[in-house]
Amino acid sequence: MDLIPILYVEDEEADVVLLQYVLGKVGICNPLQTVKDGRLAKDYLAGKEPFEDRRRHPLPGLVLLDLNLPYWSGFEVLMWIRQQRQLRRLPVVVLSSSNRPDDIARAYDAGANGYLVKPSALAELTSLVLGLRDFWLIHNRFPDALGAGASDSAG
Amino acid sequence: MIPSTTMNAVPLRVLLVEDSPSDAVLLQESLAENRPGEFNFTHVESWAEAVECMRQRPFDVLLLDLSLPDVTGRETFMRARAEAPHLPIVVLTGEANEELGLDALRHGIQDYLIKGQACGRQMVRGILYSIERKQVEEALKRAEEALRESERQLRQWNSELERRVAERTATLEETISDLEDFSHSITHDLRAPLRAIRSFAQILGEECLVCGRSRAQEHIQRITNAAARMDKLIQDVLQYSRLARSELRLEPVDVQALLRGIIETYPAFQPPQVEIEIQGTLPRVLGNEAALTQCFSNLLGNAIKFVAPGTRPKVRVWAEPGGSPNSEIRNPKEGRSPKSEPENKTSGAAPGHSVVTHHVSPITSQASPSVRLWFADNGIGIPKDAQQRIFNMFQRLDKSYDGTGVGLTVVRKAVEKMGGKVGLESEPGHGSRFWVELRAAAETGKRAGAGKG
Repeated sequence: MDLIPILYVEDEEADVVLLQYVLGKVGICNPLQTVKDGRLAKDYLAGKEPFEDRRRHPLPGLVLLDLNLPYWSGFEVLMWIRQQRQLRRLPVVVLSSSNRPDDIARAYDAGANGYLVKPSALAELTSLVLGLRDFWLIHNRFPDALGAGASDSAG
Repeated sequence: MIPSTTMNAVPLRVLLVEDSPSDAVLLQESLAENRPGEFNFTHVESWAEAVECMRQRPFDVLLLDLSLPDVTGRETFMRARAEAPHLPIVVLTGEANEELGLDALRHGIQDYLIKGQACGRQMVRGILYSIERKQVEEALKRAEEALRESERQLRQWNSELERRVAERTATLEETISDLEDFSHSITHDLRAPLRAIRSFAQILGEECLVCGRSRAQEHIQRITNAAARMDKLIQDVLQYSRLARSELRLEPVDVQALLRGIIETYPAFQPPQVEIEIQGTLPRVLGNEAALTQCFSNLLGNAIKFVAPGTRPKVRVWAEPGGSPNSEIRNPKEGRSPKSEPENKTSGAAPGHSVVTHHVSPITSQASPSVRLWFADNGIGIPKDAQQRIFNMFQRLDKSYDGTGVGLTVVRKAVEKMGGKVGLESEPGHGSRFWVELRAAAETGKRAGAGKG
């Protein structure tokens, strides 16, 4: 079985590098694509230029989404995803530095599948990534299609 | 205006509307007979003429027959009332028509006279009373109007006031929300670079471990520690500012259960490392459970942290009735109140130490009984001159102990928000006894019924 591609939407380059480092350290080999703002995330998922080549920019099976992003916020990306017929089942886990109850509630309201607060120490980030791996990459069952297309309207 | 009881020199201007010339003459004569020269009659025979007259000049009273050529009956006085709302009107009815006269009274006509029945004196009296009555009525109407006007004014002011309050509230809410956004972005934006510093320093440290450069590793450890400390500081300050902003809902809290829960949750509060003893039964207090949890954790955390090296921390917690005036700020020379120690324990504290109290909204023992919870430790103690300062933000007395200097500030703020106060007794080398005074909650029937004191 192919490894599920992961899309990480994050504007802090340091956070991207850290996640890549930890993924490598714990041996997660799933392809990690990153985009640095909300609008690019939308373009990536929609397969718009420059992401139209799905071999180089595969549709992710899991999105890690920061909330505080330039252009489009994470909330807007999330709501956009849930409105897309072809994407609405896409698992999205919020990875934010905010633990404000407001933000958490809003994220779930917008259709988040999970909400994780960015840890400030490397050890905690490692433990968080291991948790992500166990839940999302090992145990979780993904739908066959990310959205209800014409083909599975009977379901 | 017409004086009410006595006639004056100026004759009353009477408009008489009567189509029967004989009736008109009769009436004028009998009135003039009684009060010669005091009535000035204008006689017309139809309603149209009457209207014409009234529009041309003022009258003091209208005498109105109800069977005119151009209008009769009820319609007559209804029209007259409408045409001259402020004029006293007396209607003249026939003998068979007294009902009509009564009906007229119900519609704002001042009086009715039955033709051929009333004598001159009665008619004079009727007319004068009518004028008088109408004046009173008009005055009443004006007063009512004035009242309505002032009510309207009041309503207007009121709504203006409400509008202003709403406006200010909106401004305040906006300010608060701005502040919240501000503190949120501070945490977000300040902590993000720290996360990077901390994590990359750590990665660097791991890589140095591989190449065996111990000096470099030491430096990196310092960077990591400093970043971790900064992170903790930001979190603590944020926690404090959240607490300072929030409204704490007060409800009865079982302190005994809460403290046991806190101790059971944190291994650091459990033997064999430390010994925390709850003496006697702690009462229920009026407080906010989350805030109290924070206070007690901070107090216990401090109690076990600030001990001399090699000393096993021992903390005792007990309660006593609060609000005794002599346990407030006292002269250091007076020493310690015997009440502040449980009977079965001896304390290492010597006389001559000072007492500091912090409170904003004092609990008055008359209003509701209060409870003082004591947290006594065997720690390093706090010098007299520092006791005033330790509740202030970022105050750290001994930098060799880890901490941000926010913990006690949080305790004080939380306790004040619950309407209580905090204080301490301490002397270097003899431990500290911090206390928190809160309102006692009414004991539940169940617990009071158990009667176990």
